[in-house]
Amino acid sequence: MDVLNSKQQISSYIINSQEEEIKRIALELHEGVGQNLYSILTGLQFIEASEKEPEMKNYVREMSQLIEKTIQEIRLLSVELHPPTLTTLGLLPAMKSYIKLYTSTFGILVDLESSGKEKWISEKNRITVFRVCQEALANIAKYADTSNAKINFIWSESELIISIDDFGKGFQPDETDFNHPSSGLAAMKERMLLTGGQCHISSKIGEGTSIVLSLPLVSRE
Amino acid sequence: MKEIKEMRAVTLMCDQLMEKVGCEFVALAMQNEVGPDVRWHYASGNLNDKYKRISVRFGKGIAGKIISSGSPMMMTDFPKGVIGKVTDHPIMLAEKLVSTYAVPLFFNAIPKGVLLIGNRKTTTFSEEDQQRVRETGQALEQILKAQIL
Ligand SMILES: Nc1ncnc2c1ncn2[C@@H]1O[C@H](COP(=O)(O)OP(=O)(O)OP(=O)(O)O)[C@@H](O)[C@H]1O
Ligand SMILES: [Mg+2]
Repeated sequence: MDVLNSKQQISSYIINSQEEEIKRIALELHEGVGQNLYSILTGLQFIEASEKEPEMKNYVREMSQLIEKTIQEIRLLSVELHPPTLTTLGLLPAMKSYIKLYTSTFGILVDLESSGKEKWISEKNRITVFRVCQEALANIAKYADTSNAKINFIWSESELIISIDDFGKGFQPDETDFNHPSSGLAAMKERMLLTGGQCHISSKIGEGTSIVLSLPLVSRE
Repeated sequence: MKEIKEMRAVTLMCDQLMEKVGCEFVALAMQNEVGPDVRWHYASGNLNDKYKRISVRFGKGIAGKIISSGSPMMMTDFPKGVIGKVTDHPIMLAEKLVSTYAVPLFFNAIPKGVLLIGNRKTTTFSEEDQQRVRETGQALEQILKAQIL
């Protein structure tokens, strides 16, 4: 990490503290609010079962359905913010659960493949790669105009290569200003650089867009 | 429950609405019989099959907001002026819609469905067209009522 200049170190610090905050909110939603709502749901279902008066019974049923929807939405929100599996099980399982949510949100099918043996990645880098994939997938939903995308994880001894391909309409990368401060693509590149890795974006009108990330792997100390 | 896309009376009514208004897209979302899942069961004028895989999220996007609030909604020039993120509007993105008007369908006084029309260009749907959508929505409620619960 000592290869980063001081400006990059500041960005890195800001990003990390924001990620910590997002993680805390996601966890609070999932474990705190979600659990409490679940207890309320159980209580309502108990009331519904013992209620004799049909109108009241129906009313309680509608209430429990509303709670059920809210619980589901909170669970999805927490997966979107910071999947609990990212911390516990790792990058690949977290990507799998995010892709499931992505397909049911946008209707776009994502084919995820992984080859080679999955290796340990620091939590900071896991989050970075996850965010970059999220941004690439969001762009596909917004602009690619396609029903299919493909993500490949290739693990080797020293690095993880991830490619995200869509076969959509593509764009002219040189006409897009990667240095624009509010550009998602520029942020993807910058975040990968902070890990010591890289991010290549290529696209061709009519053929689709391909994003290749590389992340150096270090053995766990 | 019979599949909605196989109910002739329902699909005919949606198609007729599309023809009367002269819009490019119409779709009907309904809450499933069991569980809170809301899906698009029928669409016409669609560009692809994405709508079939979309599960409407409660409180999100035009359909999700209608289900949670129970009031109609209009967008005239998406994504301009959109509140929140563009990605909060999957059906607009999936079908490249620019304008839409949508109404809730009520069952036992609870919104459990959405009837949506849309165009791939900016449109301000006239009061007359809005009225047509509301009327079709009410007629659909009557047909579908027998199928729900
Ligand atoms: N997968 C893709 N297919 C087609 N065009 C794309 C794709 N990804 C990006 N683009 C094009 O590149 C431009 C820049 O993308 P970028 O992610 O930097 O910005 P944005 O998504 O518009 O905004 P932000 O990411 O900051 O919310 C987009 O406006 C779009 O035209
Ligand atoms: Mg973007």
